[in-house]
Amino acid sequence: MKKLIALALAVVMVLGLSATAFADGDVVLPREETLYFCGQQWGAVNSWNPIGTNQNNSMAIAAGAGWRELMFETLYMWNVLDGKLYGLLANDDYAWNDDMTQLTFTIKDAAKWSDGSDVTAADVIRTFDVGVEIGNGTGSGYGPYIDSIEGEGKTVKINAKLNDDGQPINPLMILNFLELVAIAQADWIDQVYEANGGDATAILNDDGLNDAGELEVPYTGPYTMYFSDDQKVVLVRDDNYWGQDASMWGKLPVPKYIAHAMYADNAAGEVALKAGEVDVSQQFIGNVQNLWLEDGLPISTYYEEAPYGVCLTMPTAWYNMNMPVIAENPALRKAIAMAVDYDSIIANAMTNQSPSFADVPRSLMNPTEGEQALYDHDAVADLQWAGNDIDGANALLDEAGLVDTDGDGIREYNGENISLNAVCPNGWTDWQASMEQVAAAGKEIGVEITTLYPEADMYNTVFTDPDQTEYAIFMWSPDASSPSNPWSRVNQFMGMDYLGVTNNWSGNWGQYENPEADALIKKIPLTTDEAELKDLYTQLTEIYLTEVPSFSLMYRPSVFHAVNESVWTNFPYEGQTYTMGDGTEVLVPPADCTDGFGVAALYNLELVG
Amino acid sequence: MKGYRKYFGKKIFWFILTFIAAVILNFILPRLMPADPVASITGKLAGGNADAQAVARIYEHYQEEFGTNLPMYQQFLRFCKNAIHGNFGLSFSQYPRSVSDIIGSAIGWTIALQLPAIIVGWLLGNILGALAAYIRKGFDKVLMPVSLFLSNVPAFGMAVVLLVIFGVYLKVAPISGGYAFDMIPHLSWDFIKSVISHYQLPFWSIVLVSIGGQAVGMRSMSIYELNADYVKYSRFLGIKDRKIVGYVFRNAMLPQVTGLALSIGTMIGGALVAEIIFSYPGLGSTMYAAVTAADYPLISATTLIITVMVLIVTFLLDIIYGFIDPRVKAAQVE
Amino acid sequence: MKNTLRQVFHSPKFVGGFVIFVAILLTMIIYPIFNPGNPLQQIGVGTFAKPGTYVSLYDATKAKTETFRLPEADENRLAASLTDEDRVAMIEYFNAMEIDISDLDMDDTDALLQLWEDNYDPSVRPKGMTGARVNYFKRLNNSLQDLKSGDTLVIAEEGEDGALVESKTITTTDYVNTNAVANVKSLPLGTDNFGRDVLKELVSATGTSIMIGLLAGTVATIIGLTFGLLAGYLGGFVDDLIMFITNIFTVIPGFVLLILISYSIGQEQRGAAVVATVIGLTGWTWTARSVRSQVISLRNRDHVNLSKLSGHSLGRIILTDILPYIASYVVMAFILQVSSGILAEAQLSLLGLGPRTTEVPTLGLMMNWAMLYSAHTNGSWWAYFPVILVITLISFSLNLMNTGLDQVFNPTLRD
Repeated sequence: MKKLIALALAVVMVLGLSATAFADGDVVLPREETLYFCGQQWGAVNSWNPIGTNQNNSMAIAAGAGWRELMFETLYMWNVLDGKLYGLLANDDYAWNDDMTQLTFTIKDAAKWSDGSDVTAADVIRTFDVGVEIGNGTGSGYGPYIDSIEGEGKTVKINAKLNDDGQPINPLMILNFLELVAIAQADWIDQVYEANGGDATAILNDDGLNDAGELEVPYTGPYTMYFSDDQKVVLVRDDNYWGQDASMWGKLPVPKYIAHAMYADNAAGEVALKAGEVDVSQQFIGNVQNLWLEDGLPISTYYEEAPYGVCLTMPTAWYNMNMPVIAENPALRKAIAMAVDYDSIIANAMTNQSPSFADVPRSLMNPTEGEQALYDHDAVADLQWAGNDIDGANALLDEAGLVDTDGDGIREYNGENISLNAVCPNGWTDWQASMEQVAAAGKEIGVEITTLYPEADMYNTVFTDPDQTEYAIFMWSPDASSPSNPWSRVNQFMGMDYLGVTNNWSGNWGQYENPEADALIKKIPLTTDEAELKDLYTQLTEIYLTEVPSFSLMYRPSVFHAVNESVWTNFPYEGQTYTMGDGTEVLVPPADCTDGFGVAALYNLELVG
Repeated sequence: MKGYRKYFGKKIFWFILTFIAAVILNFILPRLMPADPVASITGKLAGGNADAQAVARIYEHYQEEFGTNLPMYQQFLRFCKNAIHGNFGLSFSQYPRSVSDIIGSAIGWTIALQLPAIIVGWLLGNILGALAAYIRKGFDKVLMPVSLFLSNVPAFGMAVVLLVIFGVYLKVAPISGGYAFDMIPHLSWDFIKSVISHYQLPFWSIVLVSIGGQAVGMRSMSIYELNADYVKYSRFLGIKDRKIVGYVFRNAMLPQVTGLALSIGTMIGGALVAEIIFSYPGLGSTMYAAVTAADYPLISATTLIITVMVLIVTFLLDIIYGFIDPRVKAAQVE
Repeated sequence: MKNTLRQVFHSPKFVGGFVIFVAILLTMIIYPIFNPGNPLQQIGVGTFAKPGTYVSLYDATKAKTETFRLPEADENRLAASLTDEDRVAMIEYFNAMEIDISDLDMDDTDALLQLWEDNYDPSVRPKGMTGARVNYFKRLNNSLQDLKSGDTLVIAEEGEDGALVESKTITTTDYVNTNAVANVKSLPLGTDNFGRDVLKELVSATGTSIMIGLLAGTVATIIGLTFGLLAGYLGGFVDDLIMFITNIFTVIPGFVLLILISYSIGQEQRGAAVVATVIGLTGWTWTARSVRSQVISLRNRDHVNLSKLSGHSLGRIILTDILPYIASYVVMAFILQVSSGILAEAQLSLLGLGPRTTEVPTLGLMMNWAMLYSAHTNGSWWAYFPVILVITLISFSLNLMNTGLDQVFNPTLRD
């Protein structure tokens, strides 16, 4: 009986579903031709428009450890391991003029759009210009640094915006443009522009599909849209991809399909990974080592041992400088930061998938060798702290005159108990666990700290408001890795560009004001001398560790990378390289097999057995 | 007949009033949530745009599009006007998808999961309950506590336990999604098989919990009826046992049918937890996602559907009872 | 009254439920006496330590040793480092490296280890071998190195000049009585994702959850009872109005209402008491309905009419002529409300809408954190299963008591 009912209903439902489904192509994706992902796409894809901003398309239009190069390609690919740019649409020939006001490069002859036309300078120019006009990420992110882009045929020249002294404002950001901005086709942009009557908001909202739901937007990448609903998104390889030309990869990427099922939560994705239904997981997996140590599964990470991945950023607790008790008491800021038990955070929240602050002492740098070499470790050693230093923190507070006079166990400032909250979005478990530790540290040093986990939407509204006084200590991650880092990150920590900016998603969320630091930060982009650069970064680190406008809680990869090798193998592992056309070996970063130079992994893949 | 007219007239009046009040509540409650979804969409759309004026322009654009700049009562009128045409506006969290579209793609899954689960749970539960009441002795001694125990396992607990045992350890059933990870919806036996196999765990997690409750209820009702005077009288008259039992269970079923109708009415809210735990693509998951994203057009629409379904079911029940239950008839005369 | 109580305690169902419930209550009271301290204290650095007894390794090396020559010891030790699976894997490795193993006996441990030592090369990545497998062989190699390291371990301490000074040697035949070790920690249910003692937390959470249930049940019963009495006794417009309100609360299912209200309140305000009150405020409808129908059947009884004729006040009639007759019914409704209150808290918390996390543990919050940290998929059963079991047992015991009461007060239901 029940089977009958179930069957009848299933049939009805399938009929309903298949009415909307499509006719040609594989309906069961061959396992040995499909690479499955998890941890990127959490809901139905709503747009395929590379110049739009209203989209959640994590597989095709997003950046992680570099731009996700599957469908819409950038000029260059960023490699987070060696910190170099590798030509994609463009040749490896970008060069500055002497005063760094103009950057010139050429586009590969082979580079073609999916409609067969050449990628030219006009496409780059139009992508930038329309961005500035409609105010998308490209426009707002690079408009302040790029004055104009000119060029003809395959040659492109980017003119930097100049400051009052005639110097470029920030050459580093122009390098970011090369690796983070996906180029859209000029003709298509014109079409969209006309179809929407030039209305900026309408263009930002355009979904890149025609009324029948077919893809309208041309792309340059090796994959294109195949299927998309609220349970799954599938990309299929475009076998006419220009990159099989010898000037680029010389071949097609190995998997025919790239598929991502929408899992309800991390647990569901994790089970799918364990079951071999997912090949590449970009999810945080607690105690990932148990997957092979205890469960004996063919799962591996980039490094065999902790921290298992390449940590590129540091989730940070920001102090809200709009609150007088915080702004006026550097000792309080430092004391809380000193009292927090980071080892517990790293062991519990990150299950040791982060180096400890004893291994990589705190600074403005991420734990990569390249960045660590950028400041003088000895000069700031006395200022660094490894945490859980309750006595030190108490002494610091006593010394600063922040004492408990009324005997209730809570210290006072200006006669009032110091009472703060520690906030992060609800459901972001590792951050929540960290905030619990911050609150626990408060208890030890006589500062009342309560945790608060608003829903993400509400959190976003509040923490991007430069005038908010609702959250005292709150979490956000600064930039990870790009050509402009660590400068961008330092600017996010202490730069004054972001003061008073409404809808501030960009940086300095605590609204910390320090003209001295700001002046140093402004010098960095124009400094090329290495010793001078190191000196600047060291001075900034000193200020940061003395003033403590924020404190990092752990190190973290910008994308997680755990792979199940039941079907595919030869994923990036420590030391693995990709052989370029000219025979050079380049390290393949664990960048989700899609981000920046990490996309090279797709050309390295092999089937097991 | 006049009594009936008065009875139904009064019923209908209160039903309409309840409906209006419920619609108003459905509209207002989600909008009392503290988040500002327009600001959140603006944030997404504005990206890193630091130009305050440009951001304000985008914000205003969306305020206008969603009508959030209007006074509450005008928003309400707009909501009602559109809702009559089946248009619940655009979703905030999945913008620019329309609410109707989202619900349309989810509701089929929910009905396909819930309806059979409720019916099967109900049937099995009632059969067991009736048997327990009739057979008594050992069967009842074991069945009764087991049923009671099962009915007290929280729905999420049952779901998690099934998931762990059958999904994680025994690996006999998939634990998430509505169909296989390597399939694209199409019409074939393989696809149907895949749908059914994904269907098992959420299905049983609902059935197992409801069997217990139904069995306990049916057993009590049956015992109550078996001890009733008319049974003794019938026995005294020498009517065959089988025939008496038939009457008894028919009478005992009446409240159980009410229960069935009500649980069909509330099925969307009922399976929230099972759907969430098994990542099942139904309305329960949709509603949960909507709540956490403060997507109030979507919340209003889902709660409205639940409300309307419950109202219709209770209304129909009232009407039917009015005709068949002598006690209600008596009340009308009063 | 005494008679009723005796009757009640003769019902096996009631007694069964009562015993379970009292046992839970007693555990709640007694356990903290033996294991005092803050249940939210994070004792473990790291997540989900397995249940068991933990012996301080540091203290164990200091404790007095006894020598035992146990025949199975070597075998056990070998089995722990080199399983049959590992042997098969070693053969697989030799094959992958194209090594001649035609005259190798897999069970000959020495020969196998020798061949391994001669041929294993961590720097080589055999073609076609997955990364996971390569890592596996590295770990296997490490564990085999341990096996080779001989029969003694040397404990060394740092001397004054910084050099290591041998302080003790440990041999494979040394044993320590667990009673002789200064620090032994028993964790019958391991630790959770925060490194908290799950059993201690569970006991404390059970207490909080029962309090939440009692508060929610009280609120719901008081509202439901008041509304039911008024509607049932007064009838007419008051009845219509109250039924109207009740209907609104019925057509918007309680749980949905609960989610919306909890969300609107915001986490800052959501203490355990607030959550309990909200649960009570949304759960009273069916108590009201049932009380009303009971009262309707009572209101035309003779003794009530007599009271009315005697000009007794409304309050007095309700208190003396109606309440006592429905008291048993109200008690049963209250019990069910308590049980559904506990369940509602658990479900709310599971969706992340429960009480604030830092103050008190509740059963729902424990469940929520366990699920957030994928305890159910990574095999940490101790973090969630006991919670489900406790919720079920509380609810089961309350319902069992309720059924028992039902049979006492409704003789027709008696077995």
